[in-house]
Amino acid sequence: MLADYEQVLIAAVLCWILFVTVDVLFRLPEKGGVSGASAIGKKIEADGGALHGGYMMGNIVSSPDASAGTLLAACGVYVAGLPGGLAAAVLVYIGNRICHDPGYAGTTGAVLASLIFTGLVGAGFSAENFIAGMVIAILTVQGLSHRYASRLLGRLWGWRS
Amino acid sequence: MAELIALYICGVVALFAAARTLIEPDPYRKLPYLNVLNFAIAGLIVLVLDHPLSLVAAAAYFVGSTLEANAIASARAGVTGDD
Repeated sequence: MLADYEQVLIAAVLCWILFVTVDVLFRLPEKGGVSGASAIGKKIEADGGALHGGYMMGNIVSSPDASAGTLLAACGVYVAGLPGGLAAAVLVYIGNRICHDPGYAGTTGAVLASLIFTGLVGAGFSAENFIAGMVIAILTVQGLSHRYASRLLGRLWGWRS
Repeated sequence: MAELIALYICGVVALFAAARTLIEPDPYRKLPYLNVLNFAIAGLIVLVLDHPLSLVAAAAYFVGSTLEANAIASARAGVTGDD
């Protein structure tokens, strides 16, 4: 049985890989989905970051994407197991539609995260550690250094495209 | 005890993100920090409220705050021509 801080660390890495992979696959770094997301991307580039990484960060701000899906799936699994996670996926899809987003990235992220988290809870993980892990994962992308985070995301987008 | 660790992490990240949102001078770059704060608060809602509907409350809060950030950034970009 892993200690809680080890579980949080593993959860943070897992959540990071999951939401960044889904977002990049669904082409979030390609362009800003709304004018606000484009403006955030251009501002991050003007301050020394990478444009496409900035677009992805702007899109994360502007609509519930795979990161939101992963967080709400973790909350859903904590509240009610796998059905809770799938209920979170439905809520994320509705949220996407409210924000005029097709909703594919958010819903895919939520469903994948629900399945992974439910499996790991069965293997001995505590569900609340995935909530903390996802909060740490989004902190590293949006809250520490916009310059370096956008460059890393831009590099991942370069490989994708 | 386990729940307390997740709760503390969300609380500390929320305070850190709130401070950075306040300190950051650029209105566009405030928004990603505010986004982190919203993630942490949505997590806190579920961890603090011991009720099945806390998931709905967290999702409603999160979607609402995202829509607000979207509106603020897009309205500003439209007015200033930054897009």
